[in-house]
Amino acid sequence: MSGWDLFLVGLSHKSAPIEVRERVALSGDALKDALQQLKRTDGVREAFVVSTCNRVEVYVQAEGEEPARRFFTSRAAEAGEHLYAKAGVEAVRHLFRVSASLDSMVLGEQQILGQVKEAYGLASAAQAAGTYVSRLCNRAFATAKRIRTETEIGRGLTSMSQVAVELVQKIFGDLEGRAILLAGAGKMGCLSAKALAALGADRILVTNRSSERGLALAHQVKGTFREWEELPHLLVEADVVIVSTGAPTYVLTRESIAAAMKARRHRSLCLIDLAVPRNVDPAAGELPDVYAYDVDDMERVVDSTHEARRGEALRAEAIVEAEVMAFAKERETRAALPVLAQLRRRAESIARAEAERTLSHVGAKLDEKGRRSVEAMAQAIVNKLLHGPTVRLKEAASSGDGALAGVTAELFGIESEPPAAAKGAERRDGGRPADSPGVASNE
Amino acid sequence: MSIVILRIAAALYAGAAAAYIVYFARPRHARAATAGFWLLAAAFAVHAVAIGVGCSEFGGAEFFGLRGGLVLMVWLASGAYLLLQRFYHLPTLGAFITPFTLAVLLPALFGDPAHPEMMPANLRLPTLTLHIITAVLGVALFGIAFASAGMYLLQEREVKGKRFGALFLRLPSLDALDRMVQRLVRAGFVVYTVALVAGTLTATAIWKSAWSWDPQQIVSFVVWVLYGAMVQLRHNGWHGRRYALLTLAGFVLVLGSMVSLKAVPGITRHAGDYGMSAPAGGAQ
Repeated sequence: MSGWDLFLVGLSHKSAPIEVRERVALSGDALKDALQQLKRTDGVREAFVVSTCNRVEVYVQAEGEEPARRFFTSRAAEAGEHLYAKAGVEAVRHLFRVSASLDSMVLGEQQILGQVKEAYGLASAAQAAGTYVSRLCNRAFATAKRIRTETEIGRGLTSMSQVAVELVQKIFGDLEGRAILLAGAGKMGCLSAKALAALGADRILVTNRSSERGLALAHQVKGTFREWEELPHLLVEADVVIVSTGAPTYVLTRESIAAAMKARRHRSLCLIDLAVPRNVDPAAGELPDVYAYDVDDMERVVDSTHEARRGEALRAEAIVEAEVMAFAKERETRAALPVLAQLRRRAESIARAEAERTLSHVGAKLDEKGRRSVEAMAQAIVNKLLHGPTVRLKEAASSGDGALAGVTAELFGIESEPPAAAKGAERRDGGRPADSPGVASNE
Repeated sequence: MSIVILRIAAALYAGAAAAYIVYFARPRHARAATAGFWLLAAAFAVHAVAIGVGCSEFGGAEFFGLRGGLVLMVWLASGAYLLLQRFYHLPTLGAFITPFTLAVLLPALFGDPAHPEMMPANLRLPTLTLHIITAVLGVALFGIAFASAGMYLLQEREVKGKRFGALFLRLPSLDALDRMVQRLVRAGFVVYTVALVAGTLTATAIWKSAWSWDPQQIVSFVVWVLYGAMVQLRHNGWHGRRYALLTLAGFVLVLGSMVSLKAVPGITRHAGDYGMSAPAGGAQ
């Protein structure tokens, strides 16, 4: 009873190349089918699959890991050599770490928790997840949430576009009524322009030396294309300029910016230079109301975030450890609960029957208060008798000793009683007579 | 009596300042900002009672002195900040304003308020009351503009210097601070203009002359011209760093003149005997 029956088999960005990951990754209906198939496999009681672009992991509550392993090998034979397998506490710890983004490519990223939640939702919908997986997942979510609030692992900026957004926000607040200019067709520039557009910019202007590429780019970022020759005018029109051309020299010199600032009547201008070699003269940043940043400035922010997160990860691991222990302990205690519940149920039904028998003899001589005293006495005897065994059973269970629960069951002949019959008995007994003396006297 | 109530208000101000500073240090505790707001509101209410009691004790005469003026300024500045916070929500500004107002209030808490004489009956003019309140409110608004401009310069240094540290993350955006400075300068200028008009009317009524080269009159006029120029410069496109520096300079002039004029006894008829014994003319 105390042995674990949870198994995990999976592969992730750490163990398998993308070619393998994409062959086994599933989503939507395909995943639902796979879950149902897993559930139908002999020996599998519950199952749950996390499938993202960085990892595919199969959790099963079963006799062994074999069904989970087959999930992979049946889809891609070569997956076998990239798989990792964990069982019991190790599997629990792994799920907690994954949910808390301690196993992610970008430490502390936010999406993974949502993806695990989605995976759990799918498994529930496919009826592959039951009470066990539900308890496991909820604990994992709670752990992830705790880590997010108690540590700073989710803090900071992890990509260039995030840094660009933060910078622009600290200069302009939002971009309502302002324009973004994207000069050049670099990939980072395109990403940053898209991220900045979310700040509510009125217009996105795009310019490029080759108008063909520029037009395509404009289409991509939902902007308007302007000829490269218009650049001096565009610098007056736009408030945020993202530069990422392949030019080997400064495209924007200090002089051209100074002229633009004059024409802008010194409205603030933010220059984000994503090109290497640089396209914006760093001396332009010295002009008043001009805020210029290059790739190095922005990478420094990203690096410091990663460094800070690595420090926070140590604190997060400690929380995971505590939560895994708590989950394991809770599980052990739970194992002893059915025996305890049945023992108490049996004792209470005997006490009630005896109290009723006594009352049917002498009840007429007693007033309402007297009858209630008799019932209370019977209940008190049950409580006092069972107190010691209850405490010791719970203690034994939480220290990992399941034997005592077995002995108790055998001693009182509890396990022979099928659960359905016990439920029936409970219903037949109805509420406790002590709560409703009227019912008791009618019987 | 009023001094005791004022001390209670000061304790509440201190609580508000502490809460806002906690919020600034740990922005994740949003509740600290809320606590700061309500503590400040409570301080404002208690302070109002202190002022009311003070008026009934001394007939309002205490607000002629520097001490009473500063007490009144703290009250009005706090009220103005509460209003601003309600509409523009800049809780980090609280961390700059509240310690400053508390520091201004502190000297008034100790020692005897030097029971001023009751106001002479011929001074009890509605224009004088209006003059005092608007003058102090104007200065309070300039004070908040000063704090906002200081925040702007701090944040500008972070943004421009590529220092993306704690201050960078906590301070509001440059644009928000710049617009706040602009709003406060404009509002302060309007209120200050009312103060000068009311002062002129009062001076005409009491001292029989609107302008008498009283140093306080001269300084006030210079301050009014300076802030008027700032309002105009804004229309001409001035903003940002230059504007923030100008705002700092303006308030330094205001505060410096207030203190230095009171430091030299008898230099202005705005103190002591209200210029009643002066040979000729008086101030606004």
